[in-house]
Formats: sequence, structure tokens, C-alpha cells
Amino acid sequence: MSYLDVIDTLQSVADGVLFGATYSLLGIGFTLVFGVMHKINLSYAAASIGAAYASLIVLSVVKAPAIFIFLLAGLAGGIIGFMIYVVCFRFIPQANPLATLMSTVGALLLIDEIIVHATVGIPVPYPALFSDVIVNAGPFTLRGDLMFMFALGCLSMLLLLVLLYRTKLGIATRAVAQQPVAAQLCGISIPRINGLTFVITGVVGGIAGAMIGAAIGVLSPLLSLPLTTKGLIVTVIGGLGSIPGAIIAGLLVGGFENLFQYFRGVTERDLYVMLLLFGFLVFRPGGIFSPAAGRD
Amino acid sequence: MIKKSLTLVAAAGAIAGMVAASAAEAQERAVKIAGFGAKSGVVRVFGINSEAALKAALEQINNGGGVTLGDGTKGKIALEYYDDRCNAEEGISVVRRIASTEAIIAVGPTCSNVAESLFGILQKKVGDSSDSGLQFPIIADVAAKGGLAKISEWAFRNVPSEFEMYKSLFAWVKTQYPDVKTIYGGVEKDFAHSNATFGVIKTQAEASGLQLLGQGEWLLNDTTFSTQVREMKRANPDVVAISAHPFTTCGVLKEMQRQSVKPKLLIGLTSSSSIETLQGCGVQAEGIVIPTSFAPVTPEATKAAELVAKFGGSADLHSAAAYEIAFILKNVIESQKVMGKPDTVAADREKMRAGLAALKETDGLLGKVGRTADREAIKPFLFVHAKDNTWKVLHRPAS
Repeated sequence: MSYLDVIDTLQSVADGVLFGATYSLLGIGFTLVFGVMHKINLSYAAASIGAAYASLIVLSVVKAPAIFIFLLAGLAGGIIGFMIYVVCFRFIPQANPLATLMSTVGALLLIDEIIVHATVGIPVPYPALFSDVIVNAGPFTLRGDLMFMFALGCLSMLLLLVLLYRTKLGIATRAVAQQPVAAQLCGISIPRINGLTFVITGVVGGIAGAMIGAAIGVLSPLLSLPLTTKGLIVTVIGGLGSIPGAIIAGLLVGGFENLFQYFRGVTERDLYVMLLLFGFLVFRPGGIFSPAAGRD
Repeated sequence: MIKKSLTLVAAAGAIAGMVAASAAEAQERAVKIAGFGAKSGVVRVFGINSEAALKAALEQINNGGGVTLGDGTKGKIALEYYDDRCNAEEGISVVRRIASTEAIIAVGPTCSNVAESLFGILQKKVGDSSDSGLQFPIIADVAAKGGLAKISEWAFRNVPSEFEMYKSLFAWVKTQYPDVKTIYGGVEKDFAHSNATFGVIKTQAEASGLQLLGQGEWLLNDTTFSTQVREMKRANPDVVAISAHPFTTCGVLKEMQRQSVKPKLLIGLTSSSSIETLQGCGVQAEGIVIPTSFAPVTPEATKAAELVAKFGGSADLHSAAAYEIAFILKNVIESQKVMGKPDTVAADREKMRAGLAALKETDGLLGKVGRTADREAIKPFLFVHAKDNTWKVLHRPAS
């Protein structure tokens, strides 16, 4: 391996890790809902992209700075998240895990098709911040927009952790996640906490959707399915219900994805990511932050 | 006496009514054709544009008196458009459904993967009694992968020959850019059209004397291209040719800008000479050269673009083909004396097939379109380039 190959390998991994911040945010959304309700929300990534699209409606009316659009995407994500809770979870029997799974698959397809019909499937430009900034560090170059995205992702994760571990809402959320019956006996309204969880994860997802749009420069309905897959992989590798796990796993998957692509090409890349997933399922089914003996 | 007269008057009235109804039916007889393509999913735009182009052309035909049918009466052409979701199974199902109606021909599909599978269920050789394949004529407007019509004698296409387009383009490149020696390719590996066209680009580039330094590969829904563009940068080619649809073409062009990859010439995929590319990355696409079989450079093409827009579509090389097909069908209906009656559907389908197969030349929006023995089109084309966020004609090889 030549010097240039080493540089290229490290550069690929760095790019992947930076982009992996979006996977982390999506993983957090999946894992938080699973942690609280023990359900998978398969429409999460589509809703996140939908929120980014929704934020563009404002741009069609007034000229607004990119950061404002990002915040709007978060707001739209919160609203869509709550709507998904009401439609796909609130009135659907919780005893049957397949019922909510299928309802969220339906929501995923519905959101995708709404986007396709509204945009005729044509990619829509999305505003970016620091897209023209390139940081040169020796032989390495780091994209300003990806670094901003990474920082914004880290900030969002930090705020989420503060919310979960330093506020009453966070305590209530964790209580519902750990002992729903005991939490209810203590006067915590489970439907309210569930609804708020969807709003919070929706906000995080909306920001993730905006960051993805900003990093790519365009939004397309093509993004929903691959991001759903990535979000689920991150959730499993990080450990279902583990927020730190989702963060680390997102960065890990982003880095590995680029590494595999560099060495094995794009046609084999996803194969190795899937093998990584199977490796975790077999040898560490509880994910990164579970004890190794967690199997069975 | 009065009763007898009343009976006679009633009988005469009934006969007159029947004659009038029959005449009216003949006057309003509709020849049914079907269109199909992707009207949902991420390539929905293809179906929207094709349907709009067909409707625009049929409005012109019907408002101009319609078509003359085999018995001398005038008829209108009626279109019903179906959604195949760019999915092979769905496409086959849609065509089987169309074949069970009174439609005498179908125009479509918009996706090469659908066409490839679909043409396989048609009877391969006309008159082969041992082949139970579907005997239904189909003429494709968008599906661009090379050589698909030879799958069945019931399959026809009015799509440009990418082989001829890129052959001509690289010949032109050699005259206009004599100093370019090397080329680097980029291809969307999981999309049939992009992948097949890349093979054409590569072959033609090498045949013109350019040295292929390597190729970057990505998938239709990929979002990062830094690794591929870094390899491209290291190769330092004179020409970069990207065979991908607008979403990833834009991703790659943006990454090239970030990494300061500035080849002397950029070449793109035929399908990318669309408004999508300009909307997604007009700045980064500046200067990209693409061969296309449509641009509003003739009065007919300009009029077609306006009419297609009126029906909510956009005229491009694909939808322009659909527009042309409507007029081809009108001529075939008239020359083959199609009857357009419910009891002549099977015969009319055979006439349409025979009529299309007999064509040696048709009228196109940019000029005459040749027809080959394997039921493909040889369409006039030109080269456009992105300039100031619009597509401008750069060169007309035929002129």
C-alpha cells in the first residue's frame, strides 16, 4: 500500500465518519422510540426527509437563511412525528407488534408517494451552510459543510442527552421506557410521554433530514429507503434503546461504509455493511454497549 | 287506417333513428390506443411528460379532423395512460391488461428494465404458431437501452441511437479539442440505461483515440462521492464522462467542484440534458456537453414544446419521441386502413404491426427519422451544453 493509498483510505474514513453523524441522528430516533415503546417506527427516515421538504415551503414564500430552514425542518419533523404517532400508534392495538410495524411501513410509503407527487420525483435543491469552505490539513481535506453537519449533529445529540438525563420530561421518558406500569402508577401519562417522544425524535429527524439535504445539496425521494436501512442497521449495532450506542454506531457505519467502498468498490460496499450487521447480531446481539454475554 | 299510418310513421322513425345513430357512431368512432410508463415513484416525471406529449399530439390530430379509417369514415384517437411504476412485473401486468381492452397498440414503457422484460413476453416471430407469446404491438418512447426492439417482432422503438450519438460526439470532440488525450468515466452501476450507455461511451471514446484512465462507480441513490472523485482527481483526465441520472450527476459535479477537479471537457448522459440537472446543479454543470434528439430549434419542435407544456409536461428527448409517435400512429392507421371497431381489434393490431414494420422513414421534430430493419429509429440529434443555467445548442451534426 503506497503513501497515497494510506492518505486516501484515511480521507475516505474521515468523510464517512463526518457523514455518519446523520446516521447517528436517525439511529437515535429509531432507538428512542424503541426504548420507550418497544416498537420500531419504520417511517422515521421518510418522515425526516419529509420534514426537510416541508421546510422548503417557507423558502418558496420568503428568502430565509439556511440555519432558519434547518430549524424549520426540526419543527416540521416534530409535527410530522406527532402525526405519525397518532395515525400509526395511538389507536392501534399495542399487543400486536406487527400491527404498528405494518402501519409505519404504510406511513413510509405514503410519505414517499406524497413527496413524489408534490415534486414529480425531481430532486429539489436544498440550501447548504459552509458548502464552499474546505479545510486543508496537510494531505487531508475536510468539507466545511460536513464538519458543520457533524457539529450540529453532536449538538443535537448533546441537547437530547441533557433533555433525557437532566429534565423531568427525560426522567418520565426513561421511567416509561424502563417500567411503564410503575411509571403509570406514579402518575405519568404514558400516551403523553409516547406522543412527546415522537415529537422529540421528529425534531431530531427533521434536523437530520435537513443536514442530509444540505450535505448532498438536493433532496430526493430516493433517499428514504436507504436511510431507513442505515437507521435500522445503526440501531441494531448500537443496541436497541441505547442512545450512546446509536451515536457511536452511526459514525462507525459511516466510516466503514466508505472504507469498504474504497477497498471493495461500490457494488460490494453494502454487502460488507450487512456482514457487519450480521456479525453484531451473532456475536453481540445486544449491540455495542451491551455486555458480551447478552445473547439469549 | 289511422292506426296503420301511425305504425308506418313509427317504423320509419325507428329506421331513421337507427340510421342516424349508426352515422353518428361512425362519425364519432374512436381508435383506442394506450400509453404506459412510470407515473409514480422517483421517475414519475418520465410518465408525466410522455402522457402530456401524447395528449398534446393527439389533440392536434383530433382537432385537425382525426384519422381516416379503413371504411372511409373519420375517427378520433383516444388515449388511456397507465402507470407501470418503472417496475418490470407491473409493466407486464399493465400490458396484459391493455391487451384485454380494445386498444390496438401501446406506447411505452419509460424504463429500460421494464421494456427488456416486457418485450420478452411478446411473440418473438410473427406467424410462429408454436410461440404463444402476446401478439400485441408496442412502440417505446423513452426506454433507451440499446437494441431492445430486436427481442420481438411486435416491439418497436422511436428512441435515439445512443451508439450513433456518442460516436458522432467523440468524432466532434477530436476536431474541436485536438489536445485532449485521456478520459475518465463515471457510471451509475445499478441503473440499466446509465450502465448500458456507459459501455457505449467507453467504446466510442476509445475508438476515437482517447485513453481511458479509469472509472468511478456509484449507485442510483448514493449520497457521497468523495472517494470516486478523489480517484478521478488523481487520474487527472482531460475529459470526464458521467453516465448517470441528474440526482447523482449533480452529486458528482458538486464533489468535483469541492475537490477542484476541472477537466477540459465534461460529457453527460442523454437523459441528463433536462431541467432537473439545471435545477439541481446548474452552476456545477456549466459547460457539460450532452447529445440529445430534442431541442426547440425547429418551428415544429418549438410548437411541440409549447403544447406539451400546456398539458403539464416538459418536452425533452423522451417526451418528444412520444409526441412524434402519435403522428406516426396516425399515418399507420390511415395507410393500413385500420377499422377501429370492437370486432376488428385483433386484425387492427396486426395491421399496426405490419404498418410500423414497413416504415422506412418517419417525420420527426428535428427532421426525418430513419427506421431500421430491427424496428429501431435513426433520429437526428444535436449536441447541447449547459450555459447560464439553460441548455444551449452547441452543434448540429447534420447541418
